[in-house]
Amino acid sequence: MATILEVCEVRKNYHMGKVVVPALRGVSFDVEKGEFLAIFGPSGGGKSTLLHLMGCLDRPDKGKILIDGSNILKLSDDKLAELRLTKMGFVFQFFNLLPRLTSLRNVELPLTIAGLPEKETSKRANEMLKLVGLEGRMDHRPFELSGGEQQRVAMARALINDPKIVLADEPTGNLDTKTGWEIVELMKKLNKEKGQTFVVVTHDPHIAEAADRIIHLKDGLIEEIKKAPRRNKQ
Amino acid sequence: MKLSKILAMSWEGMSQRKFRTSLTTLGVVVGITAIISLASLGEGFRLEIRERMQTGFELENLTVIPGSFFAGLSKEGFIDKDVQSISNISGVKVATPLMQVGNVTLYNKNETVRAFVATAVNFTEFVKIFPDRFIFEDGKLPTEDRNDTIVIGYRVNHPTENETAPFAIANDNITLTSRVLQINPPNPPFYKQENHTFTVAGTLQKRGTPGITNFDYWVFIPLETARKIYNTQESQLIFVKVYDHEESERIADEIEGLFPPFSVTILVPLTFIKQVDHILTVVQIFLMAIASISLLVAGIGIMNIMTVSVMERTREIGILKAIGAKSRTVLAIFLAEATLIGITGGLIGVFTGYGLSHVLAYGLSGLVQTQQQDAGFQPPDAQRMSINPAFSPEWTIIAFVFAIIVCIIFGLYPARKAAKLDPVEALRYE
Repeated sequence: MATILEVCEVRKNYHMGKVVVPALRGVSFDVEKGEFLAIFGPSGGGKSTLLHLMGCLDRPDKGKILIDGSNILKLSDDKLAELRLTKMGFVFQFFNLLPRLTSLRNVELPLTIAGLPEKETSKRANEMLKLVGLEGRMDHRPFELSGGEQQRVAMARALINDPKIVLADEPTGNLDTKTGWEIVELMKKLNKEKGQTFVVVTHDPHIAEAADRIIHLKDGLIEEIKKAPRRNKQ
Repeated sequence: MKLSKILAMSWEGMSQRKFRTSLTTLGVVVGITAIISLASLGEGFRLEIRERMQTGFELENLTVIPGSFFAGLSKEGFIDKDVQSISNISGVKVATPLMQVGNVTLYNKNETVRAFVATAVNFTEFVKIFPDRFIFEDGKLPTEDRNDTIVIGYRVNHPTENETAPFAIANDNITLTSRVLQINPPNPPFYKQENHTFTVAGTLQKRGTPGITNFDYWVFIPLETARKIYNTQESQLIFVKVYDHEESERIADEIEGLFPPFSVTILVPLTFIKQVDHILTVVQIFLMAIASISLLVAGIGIMNIMTVSVMERTREIGILKAIGAKSRTVLAIFLAEATLIGITGGLIGVFTGYGLSHVLAYGLSGLVQTQQQDAGFQPPDAQRMSINPAFSPEWTIIAFVFAIIVCIIFGLYPARKAAKLDPVEALRYE
């Protein structure tokens, strides 16, 4: 399989006043195209930082991150934004939908930002919401939806620009176990059907074990990388 | 991102906070209302003053006075040669001397009246200077072949308003008593009282005070006669009529050049009107500068509200950036918000400004009338001051654009703040 994302010796520090807190202390791995990868570890281990770097939301202090061969350290803010718009999809723990917009409008937002005509954006948003099983909830606003439904909307939004990589930061963290599993199942389904690469950050070992590969991250370092046995929902 | 979508997004953001947005917009409305109403009132006031001055001042008439503010009365009076030199300047239609004699008393049988000013003129030339002023109640303009004719102004002939019979009518013979300065008298009195008989050629109709001279209080006698009575060839004023009032300043300069420096003063109505106009313009700009302060205050309000709004929407900005919005898209969304406030506030302000200026104009016109009545003194034909707001499209557009510019300038800081937000930080914001 082809490598879609390379992380080489990435270091990242946070500055809390005069105190320097190392979040990542030299992390290297590759992400294969079409892979379902889990980044697993306790909180404070640097998982979210790594995800932000992979998602071009932030730049590493040291090391390289190559997305489709281009080093994000060398790209301008605008180029990074373009990369996020065209190649990335994000799913967050707290859904991060715009509260005043309907599901449909939330989902079409990346296409709206890209400047596509409304006819096309709403057509594609429609399809996406159907794909995540929310055809009956298109005109609902986030506060009218359950947590699971909101996360499905977020998923639809992450996928609408047909990204190469979908990055999910604790996507089940704010959901009950059953709903969380449904989301995982949905991600797996999309990964299988659409062939999109998924990187999921989680501290839940059950969720992690649903992935093709697990990266154990602890105190800013990779503890181990292992291939997870495929399991069915328990 | 398309402009229409950016605008739609800003509009949605604003309608989420209707009350706050309305208050912010109100600031702009007040500012623009103040500017528009003051501009249109000021312009209306200026037009009214200019129109009054143009009808009041005879723009083609220049008045040459001996002496100047700088050098005092260095010149006693004018001689005929001066008048001749002025007549020779190109553009001058006619120049005529005027001799003023103070404090004369007129007797007609048992009636006595006093004239403030007796004016000795060459009737034929003088009437060319003021063709509109010699409208006779009785009689007509005297011919030059007689040297004992007199023309009486309305107020001299009718000393009190309710008098039925005038002091004199045409062809009455009246006596004029004047006091003539004695040359080197051995002892007081220094003035000699002299009586002269004149035949009334005509009496003038009421004219009021159209300009700086009011003929109602004057009597006119022939220049040559006055020269004999007062034993002088000098005259105190020269009236000059020019063909084109646009040339009056050039001609005034040439007249000044005929005399030693600072020895004459020339009253040029055009210059005066221009100066008054200039002063009014300065006053108007000053008023508008004050009005603009309110718009600046509104701008600070926008800045304040938008800064709060950016803080509140930090997470939203983070989301937008995370899903691929560039910094300039975020900047555009917030600037569009400021612009929309400017456009809305500006539009409403223009209309309320129109409304307010009419209300103010009505109020001010009433105020001016009341004061005139209270003053007790009312010039005979004083026209009521009526201020009509004058709206110039230029000022309206300038005010409107100014509103938008102020909003953009003050919106720039919070918008830049929003655009510069770090997406990771913004997403973490609670």
